[in-house]
Amino acid sequence: MWGRTLQFLPKDMREGLLPWVIGVMLFLCTLALACGLALGRGLERWSAGLTTNLTVQIAVLDDRERAKQTDAALTLLRATPGIVEANVLADADVVALLRPWLGEMPFDTGLPIPTLIDVKLSRPDAVSTLGLRERLIAAAPGAQLDDHQEWMSQVLDLAAVVRLLLAGIVVMVVMSTVAIVIFGCRAGLATHRESIEIMHLMGAEDATISRAFDERYMSHGLKGGLVGVLLAALTLYFVAHMAERMGQGLLTASLPTADSLIWLGLLPIVSALLTMLTARITVRRALLKLM
Amino acid sequence: MITFENVGMRYGMGAEVLKDISFTLEKGSFHFLMGPSGAGKTTLLKLLYLAHRPSRGLINFFGRDLMTLEREVLPRLRRRVGVVFQDFRLFDHMTAFENVALPLRIQGAKKAQVADHVEELLSWVGLEDRMHARPATLSGGEKQRVAIARAIINKPDLLVADEPTGNVDPEMSRRLMHLFVALNKEGTTIVVATHDDTLVREMAAPTLKLDKGELSFIPGGRPVDPGE
Repeated sequence: MWGRTLQFLPKDMREGLLPWVIGVMLFLCTLALACGLALGRGLERWSAGLTTNLTVQIAVLDDRERAKQTDAALTLLRATPGIVEANVLADADVVALLRPWLGEMPFDTGLPIPTLIDVKLSRPDAVSTLGLRERLIAAAPGAQLDDHQEWMSQVLDLAAVVRLLLAGIVVMVVMSTVAIVIFGCRAGLATHRESIEIMHLMGAEDATISRAFDERYMSHGLKGGLVGVLLAALTLYFVAHMAERMGQGLLTASLPTADSLIWLGLLPIVSALLTMLTARITVRRALLKLM
Repeated sequence: MITFENVGMRYGMGAEVLKDISFTLEKGSFHFLMGPSGAGKTTLLKLLYLAHRPSRGLINFFGRDLMTLEREVLPRLRRRVGVVFQDFRLFDHMTAFENVALPLRIQGAKKAQVADHVEELLSWVGLEDRMHARPATLSGGEKQRVAIARAIINKPDLLVADEPTGNVDPEMSRRLMHLFVALNKEGTTIVVATHDDTLVREMAAPTLKLDKGELSFIPGGRPVDPGE
């Protein structure tokens, strides 16, 4: 009663659910943002690995010819500026790469297995792949250079769509929250119409009246925000824990780090400010209808 | 201090509730407002406590033309008007003390000043023992006195009371009128809307009589102090 704000509004049970609804909205918003962060982080790590990596495949049936072309390709690659490393993958590693498609298989199946050369670049743009491809074919006609660009661009396009979708979810959740606060605030105005009218007739300025609503709705927004973010943090922790137990390295690596999650801690404050501003605008507009 | 000139009032596209109302309230005057139900008393009171602007005519309020006054200026004018509502309109979740303190708090008065003033006034209206009671636990007369205390706490220039004795027994009615007379003697202009003919005869104050939205003026006789 004696704070900076002249709080003339009684505690209203009908507003009791509002923090919970805001909490659910913030929970969804936090999860969407965390997914966006995870996607960004996963792609960043994954593409960083691929853009400094090339694969040369020597697909020649004759063993002697394949060995000859492999040596020629290795010599060319190792002499090319910008290439840090060029190594032939061991047969066991190649078989391991084929395992997801062909299942368990012995080395001596008789199936022609290409020779793969793993090439590491000093930086993503260290080598012109077009020029390198031409030189490789000249030295080893059976060589194929794969810079992963075609496949990666499709994955990146898909990731961009998913991120856009997540951003859309965040925008929709924020707009829904604003709409819920406006409805709640209008209901509050109707419930407390008489109190507002008395304050108005006693000479209270619009700012004095709206501050009472500001304070009340800011508290709802903060409580809801804290509940939502806390639940989302627990959910993320649970998912991370499960992923670690399952040994899903990619998923674990993609989860947002503690550093990147710090700003999620600001969400309850953003939620409090958003609800407060929405309530202020709604109440001020309604008060303008009074003389 | 307050002048109405040819004031007319209608709600929306309805018929005129008040027609060509003209009168002047001098500073320190005491008027009754009488008339049958539906005569326009409540509307006239609403114009007096600045809840509405009239549909036509001129109202001069403390030297300001109400029709051209900006909305931002109105709160300061409203603070110069005390209102006693027929149904009290107290805040049920606040104590008698907190209810009476509201007008001072709206003006931004300090807590210590507020406490002194409110306690003194609640003692003056005989509610020193009920300061921390909520309206639900107060009798009709006690609620009325809290409502009056709230209306006069910031020493208004104009006090408007709508049926202030309508919910109380005759003895309490006389005591409340005694409060109004005491306040009037200190310079507050008072308008009391009532149906109580006996009260009007006893007080012998001039009466503004409304009938079907038209106003007539009945001069008062010798004022009778209800304490006599």
